[in-house]
Amino acid sequence: MLSTKTAARTLVALVVASLAAIALTATASGADATTIRIWTDKDRLAAVTKVANAWAASKGATIEVVQKDFGQIRDNLKTVQAETAPDVIVGAHDWIGELSANGSIVPLFPSTATKKQFPAYALDAFSYGTAIKKLYGAPVALENIALVTNTKLAKVPTTWAQLQASALSTKKKTKAAVAISVQQGAGGDAYHMYPLFSGLCGYIFGKNAAGNLDPSNIGIANPKFMKNAGLIDQWNKLGLIRSSVDSSISQDLFLKGKTAFWFTGPWNLDTLKKSGLSFSVSSFPTIGGTGCKSVPFLGVQGFMVTKFAASHNVESLAKDLVSNYMMQTGPQLELALSNGRFPANLTAAKQVKDPQLKAFGAASTGGVPMPNIPQMNSVWGDLGAAWVRSTKGSGSIPAKRSFLGASRSIAQKIG
Amino acid sequence: MSSGAATNRTAHGVTVPPPSLLARAVPAFSGTTGLVVKLVLLGIANAIGLWAIVGLLGNENWIAALCVLAATLGIDAVYLLPVRGLVPAKFLVPATVFLIGFQLIPIVYNADVAFSNWSTGHNLTKEEAIQTIEETSLAQPANGAFYTMTPARDESGNLTLLLVEEGSGKAYAGNEEGLTPLPATDVTVANGAVTAAQGYDVLTGDELAGIDEQLARLVVPAGGNSFVRAEGLSTALELQPTLRYDPQTDTFTNIETGVVYSDNGKGAYADPQGQEIDQGWRTNIGFANFRDIFRNPLVRDPFLSTFVWTFTYALLSVVLTFFAGLFIAIALNYDGLRFQRLQRSILILPYAIPAFLSLLVWRGLLNDDFGVVNAILPVDVPWLFDPFWARVSCLLVNFWLGIPYMFLICTGALQSIPGEMVEAARVDGASGLQVFRKITLPLLLVAVTPLLIASFAFNFNNFNAIYFLTEGGPYGENQSVAGATDLLVSYTYKVAFQTGRGGDFGLAAALSILIFLIIGTISAVTFIRTKALESIA
Repeated sequence: MLSTKTAARTLVALVVASLAAIALTATASGADATTIRIWTDKDRLAAVTKVANAWAASKGATIEVVQKDFGQIRDNLKTVQAETAPDVIVGAHDWIGELSANGSIVPLFPSTATKKQFPAYALDAFSYGTAIKKLYGAPVALENIALVTNTKLAKVPTTWAQLQASALSTKKKTKAAVAISVQQGAGGDAYHMYPLFSGLCGYIFGKNAAGNLDPSNIGIANPKFMKNAGLIDQWNKLGLIRSSVDSSISQDLFLKGKTAFWFTGPWNLDTLKKSGLSFSVSSFPTIGGTGCKSVPFLGVQGFMVTKFAASHNVESLAKDLVSNYMMQTGPQLELALSNGRFPANLTAAKQVKDPQLKAFGAASTGGVPMPNIPQMNSVWGDLGAAWVRSTKGSGSIPAKRSFLGASRSIAQKIG
Repeated sequence: MSSGAATNRTAHGVTVPPPSLLARAVPAFSGTTGLVVKLVLLGIANAIGLWAIVGLLGNENWIAALCVLAATLGIDAVYLLPVRGLVPAKFLVPATVFLIGFQLIPIVYNADVAFSNWSTGHNLTKEEAIQTIEETSLAQPANGAFYTMTPARDESGNLTLLLVEEGSGKAYAGNEEGLTPLPATDVTVANGAVTAAQGYDVLTGDELAGIDEQLARLVVPAGGNSFVRAEGLSTALELQPTLRYDPQTDTFTNIETGVVYSDNGKGAYADPQGQEIDQGWRTNIGFANFRDIFRNPLVRDPFLSTFVWTFTYALLSVVLTFFAGLFIAIALNYDGLRFQRLQRSILILPYAIPAFLSLLVWRGLLNDDFGVVNAILPVDVPWLFDPFWARVSCLLVNFWLGIPYMFLICTGALQSIPGEMVEAARVDGASGLQVFRKITLPLLLVAVTPLLIASFAFNFNNFNAIYFLTEGGPYGENQSVAGATDLLVSYTYKVAFQTGRGGDFGLAAALSILIFLIIGTISAVTFIRTKALESIA
């Protein structure tokens, strides 16, 4: 038991000790005033560091690159503390609506000369605004799925009828359970099924008079699509596509030569090259009798400036890095090729040498950028589930009913 | 007295067992060593407390700072004051601190979020929202000019923008007063941008980094509502606001159409028709989230159906695994059983493999068309794609995962049942089943009931076992956010990150509070009721 005197002395000692501790921690914090913090994913880490440092050398700024999981960047931005928040982030174009509604990113105004070097849809994909459309990011890489054909098993098809015939004959020969490797899984995958969806005249959101996406105009069960929906039931019966095929199964089937066709994107280009198969990348053939082209979803990835740049006093620097430097040909080529994607800058695109990557770029013609309005979040699950319900094999629901239900559910959720 | 001797003999020659580790530790830590350790630990606790208070005061969080101050002073008092009554507190304080820090505070914070409308479009404070709306409402006027910009300092050292207008090629100097045309002879233009100008000192290289704040704030009036502002380090453009904010009435007015957007009390500015401006703010909305859960069919229907399934799943998981585990434990408890250890080891294997791995492997095994299970069975069962069979699969896989745990605890509990009672019962003429029902099972349940309740609570929130197997399951025709095998916790996860306009934290927080109340009530009631079993022993 301590006497009051000892207790008082120990208390004084404690206070002194803790004040010393605080003094130490206080001096440890505080970042350099002109540091730009960039959040990027693992694949682009090296390229971003190189490009950003090349820019920073002539500006008297320093760069801090933080590696994050691509999918987590958007969620972390909602809850990050200002001291550790990024000034520049890499992201997908369909995050724009949500990030802008949260006030997390700032509009960019690149010069007219810079904007001319980009295809209109890439800039459009990164633009958002209910009243006035603003550009919110610098597009860097384009990605889309395309038709990959195993040229030993089948010829590259120019019409859907050819594709169907070759796929089914391969299926009979190899006794596979499905004819085309396109992934779904129990949760569905509306992204990979989109070429089929668009080929049957389906669309997600229509455009209003001003040319902006209109969330009240949902085209999932539009009359033209309903007319063509019977083809889905036919495909299901023939075993052309199956919802039990998930990403690993679809890859496995194609690489083992069980299926002749694979719907996949440039992220699997390395795997294809290493597999030793002779393959060819091409656009999706039009489905006869529908009058609509089969086009994939376009994903545009790019860099954005966050609202935290202003509070860190590096806003002008960050805007220069993103809307000026990163949109030039050299950095565009470097950043896009670092994770194997097609660059957005048209001049850089001409400098791509890899023929298969160029083929993926060619397959993007006419593609539809994924809608970047926040209401799109309510669409993915339902659209994927509609496909799963109608392509289960036996016990599937007729496609008309399945997609009508999805359309109603989405309309309810969007409100 | 010699310490550290292996045995101690007292004066009467009786062997006294050597003091236990605890008995030897207590004297070692009394006296100076103990005092020093105590002061160091208290010093660390005080340092953490003071650091937290300084940080909280910096954020103007008065209440939290006061609470931390009270807690720190309380800890000091407990460990320093020579009051006898505080001795039990000395043992309770560390656990209480962690309980408050890691249980109570998250619950309170969760409740705070549940009463707010935190979701996409309601992520800022009101001041930030007003600033963001003003910034987003800036647009280029109809014939707005675009300039290349070079930052420079004029003769008095003030920051000036040297501009070259796109198209016309005319040069200007812009500062807070306005635009001053610069005669072409005074400026050197290269690649469309000013590189040198008479009377101005162009900033380059390292100097650019230091002017960022001033550059962002410099607004050059350009007649009427428009102004020219720098964008980045080499461009500038003419902008004008389209929405004007009136602080007195707290409204935004569209300058062109005159439409007035006022605060609609739900964290956004809306026009008379209810059309909201995108950027809103986080605000308290009272019980609206809870009302949503109970009144809005879009939220209530998934919640109710998920609740029924979650309860069934947790109950069946516990009951089935317990009886199966008990059966195996009794079977293997037979003395003199050959290969007893080997059999026990094999049966524990599913518990040793990480559950993540097992679930993913089962997902592959149960695949409709490509899985091994359907290849072996004569009938093709749609294991993961039919709502009913998906639920059966979830139960079966959880059954496989849970048996080893129940087997272990039952084996342990069976050893603790005194053999004499069973022998006495047999002598009295009881059959095997009667022995089990009247003696073994009640004594077993006394030991095992808390574990069963904990297992129920665990399975009620068993996110992994559902998400890795079916991702919440096949969606029936009328289900959208919640699938056939979604538990309440995975449904909440989907609400938080995947619904509406990108996630609704407020609604998800309200759901998690409800889950907490449900589980808490069930556990509390079960604990109180099972006290009745204690009277048997």
